[in-house]
Amino acid sequence: MASRDIHGIDAPWGAFRHVGRDLRKVDGLAKATGAAMYTDDIALPGMLHAKTLRSPHAHARIRSIDAADALRLAGVHAVITGEHLPVTYGILPWTQDETALAVGKVRFVGEPVAAVAAVDEDAANAALKLIRVEYEPLHAYLDPFESLARHDPPIHEGRKDGNVSKHVHLAFGDVDAALAEADVVIEDDYVFHGTTHAAIEPHCAVGHYGADGVLTVWSSTQITHYVHRALARVLDVPAHRIRVIQPCLGGAFGGKSDPFSLEFVVAKLAMTTGRPVKMLYTREEVFYTHRGRHPMHMRYRTGATREGRLVGVDATIVIDGGAYSSYGLVTTYYAGQLLTGPYAFATYRFDSTRAFTNKPPCGPKRGHGSVQPRFAFEVQLDELASTLEIDPIEIRRRNLLGEHTTTVNGQRITSNGFARCLDVVEHASNWKTRHGQLPFGRGMGVAGSMYISGTNYPIYPNPMPQAAVQLKIDRSGLVTVFTGANDIGQGSNSIAQYLVAEELGLALDQVRVVSADTDLCPVDLGAYSSRETFMVGNALIDACRKVRPLVVRAVADHWQVDPSRVRFVDGVVVELDDPPLQPAGVAVGGEARPGASPPDAAAGRRWMTAAEAFQLAEARFDTLGATGAYNTPTLGGDYRGGTIGAAPAYSFTAHVVEVSVDVETGRITCEKVWIAHDCGRALNPMLVAGQMEGSAYMGVAEALMEAHGVNRFGLHAGPSLLDYRIPTTVDTPELAALIVESLDPEGPYGAKEAGEGPLHPAIPAISNAVFDAVGIRLKHLPFTPGKVLAALRARKDAAAGTPAPALAGGAR
Amino acid sequence: MRTAISRLSLVEPRSLRHALRLMRDEAGLVPLAGCTDLYVALNDGALRATRFLNLWPIEELRVIEPRGPVLFIGALATYSSLIRSADVRRRLPMLVSAAREVGGRQVQNRGTLGGNIANGSPAGDTLPVLAAAEATVVLGSATGTRRVPFTAFYKGYRTTVMRADELILGIEVPEVEGRQWFCKVGTRGAQAISKVVMAAVRAPHPRVALGSVAPTVVRVPKTEAALTGGASVDEARTILMSEIAPIDDIRSTAAYRRHVAGVLLGRFWEQTAAGRPVY
Ligand SMILES: Cc1cc2nc3c(=O)[nH]c(=O)nc-3n(C[C@H](O)[C@H](O)[C@H](O)COP(=O)(O)OP(=O)(O)OC[C@H]3O[C@@H](n4cnc5c(N)ncnc54)[C@H](O)[C@@H]3O)c2cc1C
Repeated sequence: MASRDIHGIDAPWGAFRHVGRDLRKVDGLAKATGAAMYTDDIALPGMLHAKTLRSPHAHARIRSIDAADALRLAGVHAVITGEHLPVTYGILPWTQDETALAVGKVRFVGEPVAAVAAVDEDAANAALKLIRVEYEPLHAYLDPFESLARHDPPIHEGRKDGNVSKHVHLAFGDVDAALAEADVVIEDDYVFHGTTHAAIEPHCAVGHYGADGVLTVWSSTQITHYVHRALARVLDVPAHRIRVIQPCLGGAFGGKSDPFSLEFVVAKLAMTTGRPVKMLYTREEVFYTHRGRHPMHMRYRTGATREGRLVGVDATIVIDGGAYSSYGLVTTYYAGQLLTGPYAFATYRFDSTRAFTNKPPCGPKRGHGSVQPRFAFEVQLDELASTLEIDPIEIRRRNLLGEHTTTVNGQRITSNGFARCLDVVEHASNWKTRHGQLPFGRGMGVAGSMYISGTNYPIYPNPMPQAAVQLKIDRSGLVTVFTGANDIGQGSNSIAQYLVAEELGLALDQVRVVSADTDLCPVDLGAYSSRETFMVGNALIDACRKVRPLVVRAVADHWQVDPSRVRFVDGVVVELDDPPLQPAGVAVGGEARPGASPPDAAAGRRWMTAAEAFQLAEARFDTLGATGAYNTPTLGGDYRGGTIGAAPAYSFTAHVVEVSVDVETGRITCEKVWIAHDCGRALNPMLVAGQMEGSAYMGVAEALMEAHGVNRFGLHAGPSLLDYRIPTTVDTPELAALIVESLDPEGPYGAKEAGEGPLHPAIPAISNAVFDAVGIRLKHLPFTPGKVLAALRARKDAAAGTPAPALAGGAR
Repeated sequence: MRTAISRLSLVEPRSLRHALRLMRDEAGLVPLAGCTDLYVALNDGALRATRFLNLWPIEELRVIEPRGPVLFIGALATYSSLIRSADVRRRLPMLVSAAREVGGRQVQNRGTLGGNIANGSPAGDTLPVLAAAEATVVLGSATGTRRVPFTAFYKGYRTTVMRADELILGIEVPEVEGRQWFCKVGTRGAQAISKVVMAAVRAPHPRVALGSVAPTVVRVPKTEAALTGGASVDEARTILMSEIAPIDDIRSTAAYRRHVAGVLLGRFWEQTAAGRPVY
């Protein structure tokens, strides 16, 4: 067994016992009853509370910081500033441009400048007011085009290319020739405004520095391993003396996948004061911390034949990165690299530029880098369909990429259920009798997408496994799984339990999962790029298949039968007839009850409990355990950047959305979303459906309500959940999650991702549905009532022959 | 979370009279009802006060009952109790509609009518209802009770004629003749501050009140006069759009608010036309 093994898609014991069922999450009851322990629930003896002083300027030099008065305040234990934590870090090794507290300069309103540890938050807050910082304000760049046009003073000093964070230009085939020959070319501008994650749990971290010199940091992170590395670097403590633990986590969506200021600050303050230190961000601080979806200005040209076959796509994208790099290098690639499915086109070119601006830094949000271009492209495809008078679903069918193929930019496609996704949403929504035929004001739109299921590229280049697990097999019949994976609510711990129970033939309660603790668990790279189920799942199967033969052999030898006649079912080992029969009558997914005899026993067959089997094996082979690992195969195009966006498998999604548009108020109501998603095998259909619904919900919100913006001073426009509007239950449309299973040859039992892909089509499908409803094309997000009214007016004026006024862009 | 709350004190009155005496005797004592506005202000750091008078236990402020020709609604009536009250439903259905639009269930269980009035946000959802219903605010102090017409209660943005030693005891709503209408255009379906909120009564002399279009809730006399005088709704709409002076903010733009106010007027007129069922 090895990290690159392919384990096949079949059930290990004949028929699946746990996989494919709507099982509870391992932490479901704890969360529902309030028993779950989140980072903020941690309270250690003598613990101090820390608060952060933040920049009031979008761009300024720090002349001086005077913390003397703050330090004198009763209850204050320490004040630190950038000089105490000067080492830079950043999630990507090539762009380490952040410091935990500003050094010399601030680059956005809300950037951390100093931190205080005190006996309670009141004292810490009072101390913040006593810290005097002298700033010299600099010109604030709030518009990426301005950042690209000038850079004096630059946002980051010492860079060759001014305010350019990253530029990528890639071309595949002769796009210009293809577009010149195309029967039609649609060219247009699209704007994605920028949104944030709005996870319900704010960031929180607790630092503890023990007498043994071990630094422990509990953090609400989705990347324990990278935080571990970053702490070692910044604090100059050897990594083996640092332990990072992710407690139960209240949502992330990509917003907790960077190392953050507070993690370094609590660690430093714990080391400075000798006391445990906690920092919990307020909701306002979470908005400044951001790392949300990048605003993008996108120009697309798409050419097609008269029959609607795509011949070329040409994209120019300007990305507003905010003040720091974060994942920006990857974002800049993803903005182009992830568009090359689910449709085939023979030529493709993209030019994407990420600019620094003096705003909260952008980063990855659910559907990292690809939700914005997907919006632009799927709307453009719809324009193509209406121009050519082809049904929008039909035009998508005519351009199917197919399975077991390669995209224009060299990505390997294995399983592909997109055609089926289109069929399913078309049928479920009664598209054929309703699209184009609903009364004015009501309409339907479709869109499709493809997304990575893990990525083959670790964030820092290294040849070690991308996912690894360890199993401990106990005499009691318990198997403990140790995995570095971060369960951020997506259910990776639950998946680990189901898979191990499936592989070892155990009842669910015989498997417990310990995760995301760097002292206990083998390294996993973290919860990003929709990699956990795919990669950790494969690592788990790998580990199980190393240890299972030992247990089976111990039992077989004990019974003196051939190992093929030993079968584990829900925690009971039974002897099969020769030839083997299906074991019957054992309760599905139930508890293992040693002592209770399964029905087979009555038939005179031998049986024992899994615990007894483990004991036999332990007596024979010594302490039982196994490690397992996963690495992607070598993937990607043979060019610089060709591995970015290369995934071991891709998921596919199609949405049909139905909207109603109130032409008097300009309000769009999303009535229903049909979501068909190809997740490979649905290991737990309920969890898959939950991800599909949650994704669609988030997409609808980004289209109609959410907007992360700053005012003309660079101050966040509304850093609260009152003014940053996520939908409530009454705003949420009816969601129909329609699972499509195209068993992937390399996924665990054929599974692929389900957490990010299903978001993509929601946004363009709404725009396309609005076109069907009232004949306007919305290309600038968000689709506010003001924009709808302006577009309706422009359409009316155009029909009447008068020139259309410019869109009222600021209208809300 | 801020822990500042721990330095605050809550004064528990034994009775309404005691509460009024405490209000007279202690400057800076802030009455606290459901605390849904106060909590936000405190956590935000916008409120300096440290001593609060807990009105919540004063049962007589919770009463909702017809009193002669008027319907009395105690200041402590919560949105939930307004929604449940048969009297309010019968006599002032537009207040029920407004109450249903406030926040979410938790805020409806805790937030009070008196708090909404005293808080005086131009976006307060019940305020256009009270303005359109020509309600009267009943104010109490240690020295007595006085009544102020609701339309004269606000002096400007979040300022009222209430004295520092006074409490709102409740409101009195006269019989409202004509069809009542209410609509809130929020930024989302719940937990939202309105972009525009409107309450109106279709009577021989129609009454129209709007929130979120001026520093305080407003009636629009010119629009009302036009409707009374038999102007078409389109004419009235034009008048309305010049009669209000909304602003741009994070929730909307002045232009959009003006437009939507006009749309709402049209809907009010259409939906309250004779023969149409009440919503
Ligand atoms: C999540 C959330 C959602 C909300 N949604 C809405 C909404 O949709 N629409 C809306 O209009 N409001 C909304 N609000 C605001 C608030 O809930 C209402 O204004 C509510 O009516 C306030 O009542 P209260 O009893 O909680 O007031 P409190 O917070 O107790 O008091 C508010 C103010 O009134 C004063 N006060 C209270 N009672 C009296 C009295 N009897 N006499 C004199 N002064 C008094 C207090 O001193 C204070 O200044 C929301 C608030 C929250 C937190």
